Amino acid sequence: MADDIKILVVDDEKIIVRSVQMILKAEGYDIEGASSGKDAILKIEQKNYDLVLTDLMMPEMDGISLIRWLKENRPEVGVVILTGYPSQETIKEALELGIIDYIPKPFTPAVLLDVTLRAIDWLNKKAAIEEKPRKDEFPPSMIEEIDRVIKKYKHKPGSSIPVLQRCQQIVGYLPPEVQKRVAKGLNLSPAQVHSIVSFYSFFTMTPRGDHNIRVCLGTACYVKRIEESLNKIKDELKIDVGGVTEDKKFSIEAVRCLGACGLAPVIVVDEETYGAMTPKKVTEILKNYA
Amino acid sequence: MEKYRANLLLCAGTGCVATGTPRVRETLKAELEKQGLADEIKIVLTGCNGFCAEGPVMLVYPDEIFYQKLTVEEIPKLVEEHFLKGRPYEKLMFKDAEKKTAIPLMNDIPFFKHQILRVLRNKGMIDPDSLEEYIARDGYLATAKALTEMTTEDIIKVIKDSGLRGRGGAGFPTGLKWKFASKSVADQKYMLCNGDEGDPGAFMDRSVMEADPHSVIEGMIIGAKAIGASKGVIYVRAEYPLAVKRLQLAIDKCLEAGLLGENILDSGFDFNLEIYLGAGAFVCGEETALMRSIEGQRGMPRPRPPFPAHKGLWDKPSVLNNVETLAQIAPIIMEGAEWYRTLGTEKSAGTKVFALTGDIKNVGLVEVPMGIPLRRIIYDIGGGINKKNKKFKAVQLGGPSGGCIPEELLDIPVTYEDINKTGAIVGSGGMVVMDEDTCMVSTAKFFLEFTAEESCGKCTPCRVGTRVMLDMLIDICKGQGKKGDIETLLDLSKDIIATSLCGLGQTAPNPILTTIKYFQNEYESHINDHWCKAGICSNLCSFHINEENCKGCGKCLRGCPSNAIVGEKKKPHRVIQEQCVQCRSCYDACPFGAIEIKPTLKKPAEPVTQDEGVTK
Repeated sequence: MADDIKILVVDDEKIIVRSVQMILKAEGYDIEGASSGKDAILKIEQKNYDLVLTDLMMPEMDGISLIRWLKENRPEVGVVILTGYPSQETIKEALELGIIDYIPKPFTPAVLLDVTLRAIDWLNKKAAIEEKPRKDEFPPSMIEEIDRVIKKYKHKPGSSIPVLQRCQQIVGYLPPEVQKRVAKGLNLSPAQVHSIVSFYSFFTMTPRGDHNIRVCLGTACYVKRIEESLNKIKDELKIDVGGVTEDKKFSIEAVRCLGACGLAPVIVVDEETYGAMTPKKVTEILKNYA
Repeated sequence: MEKYRANLLLCAGTGCVATGTPRVRETLKAELEKQGLADEIKIVLTGCNGFCAEGPVMLVYPDEIFYQKLTVEEIPKLVEEHFLKGRPYEKLMFKDAEKKTAIPLMNDIPFFKHQILRVLRNKGMIDPDSLEEYIARDGYLATAKALTEMTTEDIIKVIKDSGLRGRGGAGFPTGLKWKFASKSVADQKYMLCNGDEGDPGAFMDRSVMEADPHSVIEGMIIGAKAIGASKGVIYVRAEYPLAVKRLQLAIDKCLEAGLLGENILDSGFDFNLEIYLGAGAFVCGEETALMRSIEGQRGMPRPRPPFPAHKGLWDKPSVLNNVETLAQIAPIIMEGAEWYRTLGTEKSAGTKVFALTGDIKNVGLVEVPMGIPLRRIIYDIGGGINKKNKKFKAVQLGGPSGGCIPEELLDIPVTYEDINKTGAIVGSGGMVVMDEDTCMVSTAKFFLEFTAEESCGKCTPCRVGTRVMLDMLIDICKGQGKKGDIETLLDLSKDIIATSLCGLGQTAPNPILTTIKYFQNEYESHINDHWCKAGICSNLCSFHINEENCKGCGKCLRGCPSNAIVGEKKKPHRVIQEQCVQCRSCYDACPFGAIEIKPTLKKPAEPVTQDEGVTK
């Protein structure tokens, strides 16, 4: 893991640069050094670093200016400062610019490693949060389509539910991004849109699997012991109602009566209705979709 | 138009489509072509026939011969025998349960024989996508009459005099509703249709919308004329895609034919109709909640008054009628109030459609005159309990707002008043039959799960109260019931009924109240003896083999998932209690009734967490 992390250490004191390089290299990090802010920028423009450890007081270009440049041009790079004279003002300024942490000089190898590890951990978490709504799930064509729907209904009073239904059809579910876009388009607050999404069971905020299994929990199905089949489905797929299998192939949804009581107990896979369900039949049906 | 020797009315309702109509139709078509009969015999895809359990079903017209459980494999033989040689094909006919003889004619089959069709008059008889076929069965005659010959007062008077009551559940007189709205003065009024059939176990509205969409539209046009509405909305569940498709097609055809839109039939009356898709909320069956939903809000009810007849959708006077109510309007306009009153009772006139399901032989939709005893519906039409040797236990009426009616009350007539007296309601007409293997405490728990989930949350007694009651029921079913639980449930029920705003909360305790009223001993044996006599609550039962009845056939042994049954062939078997997981499979498998259910042998279960047993 450590090999993938690229770190740049910036200090006008060569001995600091060298010792940091030595300590971190031994841990397997990809580490390089720079002797000034200007030198650092030249290096950063050549290579994508994950983390920059920088001194604050340097000739030519000081640490604060470097951090400012980084935040403007490479906001994804994490910054940790190394400083011998941590004055309240400079630390405050640096913190406002969004540094992750600071290491007071002189430091022991243990402190350096500890802070570096924490900084990397923080970067990973941040990346995970930002990555959650995977950008590739909303190709521009989808956004265009959503906007077309919004435009069509914009001037129709009470159109929020139909618009959200269409959007769910387009995207498959209604993540916050889509809700915000709908809110903006229909001139509603995101809270209003979310209140509708969370109220109606038709709407979902989690993506469904390639095959969505709807299990009818209506009275007729209950009397005919749909539960046995439901438990079998849960067992086979190893997920609960509302869940999605790891390979995103299946999801289970519980619904209140599909109006096909004559066939009870009933499940619907995608658009196909299966009646007179038994645990045995579950296995057969799931095989067809695997 | 070409003339055909016979029409094959093949059911294309949701049920039959699921059991194979599309494949059957393809084979049938190919086979008719192969035999050179394609010009003589026409296949018509109809809406739901109602006899869903026997699907796919087909009626041969004009012979009136009824075929059921059609399969692709049998089609060639059927075509050859019936349509080529003229010999109706017995193998696919309905069989009499006792005599095992085939019953060829649809109207001789008990399921159909006792029904009188008014709402479902066109079910399975016409192609729902054809406006012409609807008109051929006197469709839109009533519209013409109402728009050109009758005044608003005339229409309201006929509907009022007919005694028609809202079929959605509450049973409010339709004529009165229309009268109130017609008296309201406003620049815009709305005629609305409630197709948000939310009661689990009821599917008559789906069936009507799928089989006869024009009958609903016609009812709406006449209602709109009566109250002076120029706009209408049909609110349909998103779970009913076929109904939505057929309604939309029907609306488009009406617009084309001048039956909707401006100046309908040159009468100067305008009416525009659109479909609004619901998004899955049971509470939206309540009228004020439904209107909020059409306005694009959370569907939460509001206090009445003001009633929708004065301030409804967008604060304009509005009338909301159920699908089944609207489907009856046209015949009443044509035949008159007196005709309508010839069936039913003084206070509950006409017919009502019930969705007969559960542990019963003939599952499907049945339309009967109001006032006939429950027993006749369940035994004469439904054919009784579907499993041999099993006794009837209860029939559940009215979905989560209704209640369970026991055997001894089966002779009461089905009217709004009589059913209310039992503690159940007629509701939308879901009728779920349960046999003796049903645990009534679990059944109450099932309905409470539903209402606790569907409570919109506006009124605290409903939101929190249903949850508290559900938790108690879960505890009882787990063996954690306490003395005094029954009394607490009764008290809570009373409070929730008294302090909830809308019908959902006011009726949510009904399943508990009726099960306690008629099956209190089951609650007691759960709480005191840790014994679920039906063997449903796995913590509260143990399974034993009665050595006298056991023939040693091995069926239970083979089906046991935990190898808890031992025994030699043809000698009585035995359950190893330590290994038994109470899955009940031996009980269901035994053909001799040798498995006995006794109180649990386990120590009382550990305390349970609050969320267990709740789905979603």
